[in-house]
Amino acid sequence: METITMTEERAEETNVSEETEIKVPRYSDSEKYVVFNTEFIPHIDSMYNFAFRLTNDEDDANDLVQDTYMKAFRFINSFQQGTNAKAWLFRILKNSFINDYRKKSKQPAKVDYQEVETTYNSESTDSETTTDLRTETVQDMIGDEVATALNSLPVDFRTVIILCDIEGFTYEEMAKILDIPIGTVRSRLHRARNLLKEKLRSYANTMGYKKAS
Amino acid sequence: MNVPKNTEPLKKHCENHEKCMQMIQAVLDGSATEQEIISFKANMGVCLPCIEGHDLQKSIKEALQQKIEKKCCPESTLSNIRQKLGIASALLVFAAVQITIFKVLLES
Ligand SMILES: [Zn+2]
Repeated sequence: METITMTEERAEETNVSEETEIKVPRYSDSEKYVVFNTEFIPHIDSMYNFAFRLTNDEDDANDLVQDTYMKAFRFINSFQQGTNAKAWLFRILKNSFINDYRKKSKQPAKVDYQEVETTYNSESTDSETTTDLRTETVQDMIGDEVATALNSLPVDFRTVIILCDIEGFTYEEMAKILDIPIGTVRSRLHRARNLLKEKLRSYANTMGYKKAS
Repeated sequence: MNVPKNTEPLKKHCENHEKCMQMIQAVLDGSATEQEIISFKANMGVCLPCIEGHDLQKSIKEALQQKIEKKCCPESTLSNIRQKLGIASALLVFAAVQITIFKVLLES
């Protein structure tokens, strides 16, 4: 069973290795700016959206994006041109978020991860809770309603859904961004989606979406 | 998912729905293994919970992709980054110029 502590430890470990500067510089000073401008800057809107969905705060999102880009420039020699810049940047942003922002987060006390897992992991819960939520109901929902449901998920679950459904990363890319095995990506995504369905269903009920008969 | 062509009645109960849903999600996410794609195709015409699970999952994925507002990073954030790096680059250029002058002086 994973816990938040474990995720944090892992992230801190990898952060160190990521920030170990490569001894032989890959780029000259002028090349650094070219790589930065052509490979990193084009992802700034996706980075901002990811940061905003993680922090739920515009100022924090701006700080997080700035920190990430400064780190990216500092460690640019460990980025290989032609590889996936977006995934590389997302990984730095995710690690910065865990190490620097999560601790001082303005959000209310975080939901106990284990409790969430046990509640939404049982198979009987899954089939019961999803019977009520209909495809048509989801199709009728507006963006804000979907966003509210997404934002109400614990951050680890929210993250996998953002990376997969909104940003379109593959499981393999997500495994690298999150420093977890692909099997964990799959199971966490599955649990996150069960939880999201549950949120959407109760949201639909309170908002009085008609059940099609 | 369309109504299957075969005349066999659909399975009303899925024996291993959690596992099926992981497979269905992997297919929708474009990250399924070959084996999963094969079982997906075999399963989707026969199992009602899986067909419904697929359709619901697809609609949620589409809602997340298409309906959630995508913000633009504020211009000020980008200019802050450029400014911070611009200062660094100015220093680098300055250092480079100094080295060149030094070399020229040495060579003359
Ligand atoms: Zn099934």
